Amino acid sequence: MTASAIATSAAAAARVGGVVPIGWPQLLLASMFVVVTGALALWMQLGVTKQLAIAAARTYVQLLLLGLVLVWVIRFNQWWAVVGILVIMIVAAANVILRRAPDAPGGLFLTSVVSMAVTGLTVTFAVTGLVIGANPWYDALTVIPIAGMVIGNSMTGVALSLERVFADMDSRAGEIRTMTALGATAWEAAHPSVRTALRAGLIPTINSMAAAGLVFIPGMMTGQILAHADPLLAAKYQIVVMLMVAAAEIMGAVLAVLLSYRRRFDREGIFLEKGMRP
Amino acid sequence: MTRPGDDGPVAILRDVRILVEPGTLTDVVGPSGAGKTTLLLALARLLPGVTGRIELGGVPASSMDPRMWRSAVAYLPQRSALVPGSVADNLLLPWRFKVHGGLTPPDAGRLREALDGVRLSDVALERPAERLSEGQSARVALLRTLLAGPEVLLLDEPDAALDDESAEQVGRLTRDFVDAGGGVVRVRHLRADVHADRRLHLEHGALSEMER
Repeated sequence: MTASAIATSAAAAARVGGVVPIGWPQLLLASMFVVVTGALALWMQLGVTKQLAIAAARTYVQLLLLGLVLVWVIRFNQWWAVVGILVIMIVAAANVILRRAPDAPGGLFLTSVVSMAVTGLTVTFAVTGLVIGANPWYDALTVIPIAGMVIGNSMTGVALSLERVFADMDSRAGEIRTMTALGATAWEAAHPSVRTALRAGLIPTINSMAAAGLVFIPGMMTGQILAHADPLLAAKYQIVVMLMVAAAEIMGAVLAVLLSYRRRFDREGIFLEKGMRP
Repeated sequence: MTRPGDDGPVAILRDVRILVEPGTLTDVVGPSGAGKTTLLLALARLLPGVTGRIELGGVPASSMDPRMWRSAVAYLPQRSALVPGSVADNLLLPWRFKVHGGLTPPDAGRLREALDGVRLSDVALERPAERLSEGQSARVALLRTLLAGPEVLLLDEPDAALDDESAEQVGRLTRDFVDAGGGVVRVRHLRADVHADRRLHLEHGALSEMER
């Protein structure tokens, strides 16, 4: 038996259910990438070393905790536990959205929660129920990973669109006041900003769809191939995921922007200057 | 008239009564910070949280849709804010709004005639608005407001930053509107026009009649 055949056979023996297991030593080894990057950032005085360290620590803690929770939820497989996880995901996503959109007015938490909930639940259950055919409908092993991708990606689109719509309205304040003085409704005056914001939120997704498979192998497909799934099946899954992510981003961004743009206007459709905003 | 402030309502105009008759030009003069722009914005219903009573032809503002009111009582700011697009896009802007729905917008011939009437013969309808001078922009903005057919025109220092020719054209357009039966309130920083039908002085939030 040759050396390479022995190595292949050892790797195959180490696989668990087709997946090469990663132990604590390998995790620590992976941390070296962050240590090297952090040292480089420190040397270049980028001022991001602390954030990088915190982000890396959070990645460890959050993902390991999520893993432990998922082990329990998947084993337990009760509808209320799955719905509970979805609610936590939606609320956490709404919080992230508000942090990423500093120009957005206060009081948008409920809007973010509604946008994420409508989008996340509709797209997730449409995919798990109609495309994958999950049984039972709340099957944790199917619903939670799909919901994670839907909510996570939708969150990015919503945050980008919300940030842009308010920043764009502020930059068009003079134009909006002119339109209002000529009899425009809040929607008519805000419409160019809404269009700009939704385009900004959706273009990354469209670009990503266009480049998938040519420039990069998307994350889910990579994961499945690493887990030794059939690449064609992985490609089919990835197509479903990319289309559902695009739908979720579009729905989420449209809903969030439509529910929130009017906060820059008062009841009579007057554009509110910075000092007059509630 | 009050506006909301951090510690409750703040009085900005006190016991101001102003009657704008059809076919009259009223000049309001006063120092900076006297409340001249505030008065115009309040009359146009473009200032939030204002108390007081405004009527148009005996109809209270509160019983009219704000968009209808603003199309009838048109406010033109000191610095004309043209929107991105061509001169024609700007002149036709009001017809993009629901409040003018059902009304036929002026055709290209009418727009050309309007521009020629204010000595803008060399300005093509297709010219991008950002390539107009300040004086040309002011004339286009006033034309845009007038083409939409308001009953009352509220002008905020319309000729303060204009060259002589543009100021003259803006003054003539304003006078033509008045002669056709429109009512105009025009605020000015320095002095009232001798041709104004009525001249008022605004200071510390109070209006007073000026001697001719």
